[in-house]
Amino acid sequence: MTKPLLQVRDLEVTFGHGKNAVSAVAGVSFDIYEGETLGVVGESGCGKSTTGKALMRIVEPTKGTVINGDQNITELSGRALRRARTQMQMIFQDPISSLNPRRRIKDIVAEPLDCWGTAKGEERDALVSDLLSKVGIDPAVYGNRYARQFSGGQCQRISIARSLAMRPKLLICDEMVSALDVSVQAQILNLLDDLKREYGLTLLFIAHDLGVVKNVSDRVAVMYLGKICEIGPSDALYAAPAHPYTKFLLGAALEADVDSDAHSEVLEGEPPSPLNPPSGCRFRTRCPMAQAKCAEEEPALQDVGTGHQVACHFPLTIGRK
Amino acid sequence: MSENVLVVENLATTFHTKGGPVPAVGGVSFSLGPNETLGIVGESGSGKTVLSRTIMGLQPRTNVEVTGSVLLNGHQMVGVSEDEKRKHWATEVAMVFQDPMTSLNPVMRVGKQIDEVLRVRLGMPKDAAKARAIELLRLVGIPSPEERYSAYPGQLSGGMRQRVVIAIALACSPSLLMADEPTTGLDVTIQAQILNLIEQIKNDLNMSVILVTHDLGVVATRTTRLIVMYAGRIVEIGTTRDVFKDHRMPYTRALLESSPRVSNASHTRLQAIPGRPPNLLKLDQGCAFAPRCAFATQKCHEERPELEETGTPGHLFACWNPLTTKIGA
Repeated sequence: MTKPLLQVRDLEVTFGHGKNAVSAVAGVSFDIYEGETLGVVGESGCGKSTTGKALMRIVEPTKGTVINGDQNITELSGRALRRARTQMQMIFQDPISSLNPRRRIKDIVAEPLDCWGTAKGEERDALVSDLLSKVGIDPAVYGNRYARQFSGGQCQRISIARSLAMRPKLLICDEMVSALDVSVQAQILNLLDDLKREYGLTLLFIAHDLGVVKNVSDRVAVMYLGKICEIGPSDALYAAPAHPYTKFLLGAALEADVDSDAHSEVLEGEPPSPLNPPSGCRFRTRCPMAQAKCAEEEPALQDVGTGHQVACHFPLTIGRK
Repeated sequence: MSENVLVVENLATTFHTKGGPVPAVGGVSFSLGPNETLGIVGESGSGKTVLSRTIMGLQPRTNVEVTGSVLLNGHQMVGVSEDEKRKHWATEVAMVFQDPMTSLNPVMRVGKQIDEVLRVRLGMPKDAAKARAIELLRLVGIPSPEERYSAYPGQLSGGMRQRVVIAIALACSPSLLMADEPTTGLDVTIQAQILNLIEQIKNDLNMSVILVTHDLGVVATRTTRLIVMYAGRIVEIGTTRDVFKDHRMPYTRALLESSPRVSNASHTRLQAIPGRPPNLLKLDQGCAFAPRCAFATQKCHEERPELEETGTPGHLFACWNPLTTKIGA
């Protein structure tokens, strides 16, 4: 974990113009180091999926730079952009609609190879068979079946096989297990962990489930209304959240344990409209600790520990020791 | 516990499909006392939603066969006419569904949708119904209820819509509230608000609640008793504490161990359950979980275990080779 694989600086995504402009991602900067998993959590509408898509330029960033390895993704276009995307692949939430139901799965997995002419004939078939067996699907038995014949968990396995075909370095997983039952979810998360090690992958893992993110991530970024409000090593961040929002979010997470404290303080209200975000700190309208300064001045990310940063004027960790 | 609010006996729902009969619910019995919260958990296809709809009497008119008995405050709900069932809806049992957008009429003001229940079921005059509807909106924690009364569902957020659905369910003060995945699809902070709301009104109005969910976290601290379903049957039932801490059915443990927890360290290996849930069209005579179970023996594949009580009263499980060690022991 020495040099960052992905560097994101001041990323902004705005939809619409003028009065109707919604800033879905409002200036986000982070690094992902080689071989690590960065989890991104937040509630719906916080911009976590848009961030993931903007990195791939599936949605166009309005501002900012994305550097993957030595390539500036935000400056590329046409074939160069498509070539760059082979090194960063995405896995989506709905496994069934991610695959063409009327195609054979071996062709789905082979498509990236065919597009780029990476492998042909027997070599191509061998690669596809290898990818399918790696994700736990027997290519001899199932390779010729159509995508519609598979369950959600199996479709997600096939999506993973397809995303690995071009040997990408970075995998962006956008809510990849949220449509699955817990028993299948556990299978997919374990598989992802195995493949990450085998292929030396770096992951950006976007999810709303705090338990899932804790299990897979080395570091976690918490987003609220288009901005990162806290980022840090996952154990430290979960054990001692520095941002009041992180604290409430973790408090609201329900643990499958009868002895857990489910009746901790509940965050009141709902996130404000991104059409008209509050001045200063975006969380101040729901924050029980908000003071005058929070409305006047937007807090910048500041260090509160090793690799642990928080955007809050009154972080919770100060004075805790 | 005095009179039971709900007594379900040997309830079975079978769908007749082109592929053959599908036993979505296969012989379920349990009872529910007043002011009790019962959780029903299971994965998709385990029959939890069909069970809750069958209890309500909300099954399709054709190609479905329901046998057994559902006594709601002493009234039989199985095998009676639609009109007979309708007498008990809203006033004795009400339901909150998963998707608050599709359970509300998008082109009708939310206040009117609450009014409707009051006027049709209780015969309230228009003005009184409106006043009561606003009072209900306030009860479920909707800010400025007078204004929200004339809002359309599309103008409200998901959490607010679910509050409206709860207000409709509460309109006639039922003795039983059935909530089928009431918070799935809502954000965690909103989920916590809605679950707290259900718990608070349950205590205020002295209702019983059935909470159907796939999320073990939702039921862990908010239910008194818990049912675990697999392939249309109850595989374990007991107090929530017994089911979590002293479960005997291997499926219950597998379900608990496969949930990723916030308290786990990073990169904790999850205990995944191999395989997937069975096809209900092709159930064999043995235990439905046997093909995925680490403890299965020949007997498990040949003979189906029945729910049995051993040891703790009220704690039943269906297993030939029950677990003997407590979790974490």
